[in-house]
Amino acid sequence: MLKPFCVAVVFVLGLSTTAAAQTSDDFFNPTVLQRVELWLNDADWAKLKAAFQENTYYPADVVWNGQTVRNVGIRSRGLGSRSATKPGLRVDFDRYSSGQQFLGLKSFVLDNLTQDPTGVKETVAMRFFARLGIPAPRETHVQLYVNGTYTGLYGLVESVDKTMMGRVFGSIGDNVQNDGYLFEYNYLLGNPWRFLYEGPDLARYKARFDIKTNESHAESLIWGPIEELVRLVNTSSANGFEASVAPRLDLAAFVRYIAVQNFVAQNDGFTGYDGMNNFYFYRLENSTSHVLIAWDEDNAFLQPDFGITTRTEENVLTRRVLETGSFRTLYFGVLSEAASSAADWLRQEMQRQLDMINTAMTTDTLKPYSNAEHQAAREMLLAFPDARITYVRCEVAKQTGATRPAGCQ
Amino acid sequence: MKRICVAVSILFSLAALPAQAQDNNADKRGMVWNDRPSIVFGEDLSVDLTGRALLEWRKFDPAIGEEVFHLRTLRIGLKGELTRHFDWEIEREISGADTIQFGEWKDVYLEWTTFDALRIRGGRFKVPFGLEQNTGVGNLDFAYRALGSTALTPGRDRGVMVFGDLGRVNYEAGVFDDDGDIAESNEPQFAAEGEDLASVGPSFAARLTGDLFRLLPVGRLQSANVGVAYTNSRVPEGLNSLRGEGLWGDDFFQRVYVKGRRQRFGAQFDWTPGPVGVRAEWMQSREQRQEQSNRNENLSDFIGTAWYVASTWFVTGEDKDDSINARRPLFRGGIGAIELAVRYEGLGFDSASKTGTAFTNPRADNQVPNSDKALTFGLNWTTTKWSRIVLNAIREHFEDETRVPEPPTTSYWSGLVRLNIVF
Repeated sequence: MLKPFCVAVVFVLGLSTTAAAQTSDDFFNPTVLQRVELWLNDADWAKLKAAFQENTYYPADVVWNGQTVRNVGIRSRGLGSRSATKPGLRVDFDRYSSGQQFLGLKSFVLDNLTQDPTGVKETVAMRFFARLGIPAPRETHVQLYVNGTYTGLYGLVESVDKTMMGRVFGSIGDNVQNDGYLFEYNYLLGNPWRFLYEGPDLARYKARFDIKTNESHAESLIWGPIEELVRLVNTSSANGFEASVAPRLDLAAFVRYIAVQNFVAQNDGFTGYDGMNNFYFYRLENSTSHVLIAWDEDNAFLQPDFGITTRTEENVLTRRVLETGSFRTLYFGVLSEAASSAADWLRQEMQRQLDMINTAMTTDTLKPYSNAEHQAAREMLLAFPDARITYVRCEVAKQTGATRPAGCQ
Repeated sequence: MKRICVAVSILFSLAALPAQAQDNNADKRGMVWNDRPSIVFGEDLSVDLTGRALLEWRKFDPAIGEEVFHLRTLRIGLKGELTRHFDWEIEREISGADTIQFGEWKDVYLEWTTFDALRIRGGRFKVPFGLEQNTGVGNLDFAYRALGSTALTPGRDRGVMVFGDLGRVNYEAGVFDDDGDIAESNEPQFAAEGEDLASVGPSFAARLTGDLFRLLPVGRLQSANVGVAYTNSRVPEGLNSLRGEGLWGDDFFQRVYVKGRRQRFGAQFDWTPGPVGVRAEWMQSREQRQEQSNRNENLSDFIGTAWYVASTWFVTGEDKDDSINARRPLFRGGIGAIELAVRYEGLGFDSASKTGTAFTNPRADNQVPNSDKALTFGLNWTTTKWSRIVLNAIREHFEDETRVPEPPTTSYWSGLVRLNIVF
């Protein structure tokens, strides 16, 4: 009688050990092609695809690595990437039960990769951002099955939320530094913005910065500091610029962010082709200082000769920051650092990820591009790193007056 | 709004007609005042004008975004007799903030009345479920119907009903096109092509009431009237369940996915010894959720339960059975009739299954329950036969702090003064 009992205890302990060993790092492990199953009512899946432009939530069960989370909420997501055929999805564990989490996560994103025929630009760029010390979500790839049917290759993306802020900014004593004001920048179609002061009306800034935490606070507390920051960026004298802006924006971190984003030739970022786009903005807990969080970099790796100061003159903030000598020096320094970091890593990482997703990508029949188009995009991407590193090093030397390295044109 | 106020003023003027207008004009022909403006063509042929206006001043603590002044209802209608064998009635809502427009049709029916034991009504009228729901707005003891009456009962629908008085027992049984206007489908898009997208019916409803306590040695309680009621219909797939709505219209339990049979069970108690009235109701809805889980499996029934207990007392001594007839009306040298009232009630939603973790999602087998309980204190001042002033103070308490009008506040006070004009 005792023996079966002991076997059972060992078995249960073994299971619990396996479960306990799984963390959110395992979930977003970039070296693993994950498999996630979603189970939702057929009618809901049909309705979500039919109404893919809406943010309506539907209940579903999530299965990952033998673990099931019941009654999560899923909805269609994205801006230009929204799709009726292969919907991008947001998964909220706590939508229908306020305390429900999975591996410490409240939510995650399933990026449908419809705008990137390589399938890896977003995930490579985010790893590169993190490698250079910029707050960025953890990501990997996932084969998504909906109601038992393969629905395609997706990016598995960590949500930018309080949980991530806690991971990035850590704790001071027992106080997790995740109770600041988190904003998602809202790109307004047809109304591009380049940090020009829009007057004292907070509604202007409320429209551009969607608050994600502390939503119940007074508008003056939420958007007042943003209005103040924009005003000071636009009105401070050249001599007083750093003194007045630095307490409200971590200027060194900002320069690092725009330099790395430029290195990866992101055409739709802070100095995007149609104004600012694709970032989160976080005001640190008990602070007036803001930092940028990387988001949605699937337009990266545009071309190796993407100018190293592209559109920095058009954006008031980047122009004024780079007019300050020390920050201009820092900007080119970070570009050089990025080139060095990329030299022994970027191409290998692209190749590794492309190999990892190869079968999942080619068997994905719902992607909006052919396998031939994927193959062509893949070759073009792999040619990017070496050419980009050389181009950036040459251009930085040209801008700073340093000796130009070999290979410059 | 201005024109609406003018319309209300006209109705008020009609209600305050001089005392002689209250004289019995039953024997006259032509245009007469017979409790209301009427055209009498003969002994069994008449057309009566009916109207009702309910105007409120309200106060909320905490504020919940509702208007302070509110025209609750403005309706006008006609009713009458068509020979000795038929009665009829039509009534329509009047709506519009700035201009007077006709709104929703209310009662529109023809009734065969030859025999007391067997009558037939056809048209649009209230489904026979719910004691209070089937009580005219002019005869309610409180400004608002109980939570259950406005959430779980069917309300009006098109149909045919047989009913009658068998002495100790009254019966009503009908077949209806849908399942009442309160339970209208919210999401009919799952219906197959060619189906009636708006249809949740046909439905069947029946009610039996009677003086059953007369058979028991229970003293004055022998005059109590008790009854049971039942409805049955089929509900199409979708977010089409009944839902929990607070007194002021905020959803505290949103619709869930249902498919299959919807049943309602009801029991009622009505006792009016002298100037005192005691009323109680219990009702429950059970809705099937076939193939509605995340994996297309059947879910446990979705259940709504409501109840109330209410009591009234005419301080001025009127008999509750003749509640709108003040012994000494205000415009005839008296003060009218003054009645105190109190009601305690509840409305809650839940699932039959209690297994596993409960969720608020509309496809969860085990639903997180939520309920609304309300305590209402009232004072009704019936000034004339047609006008009444109603004062109510209401304490409302919700169970789930995340599903309340102003989270996380779970308890709310509200008060209102209402002017009722009904003729």
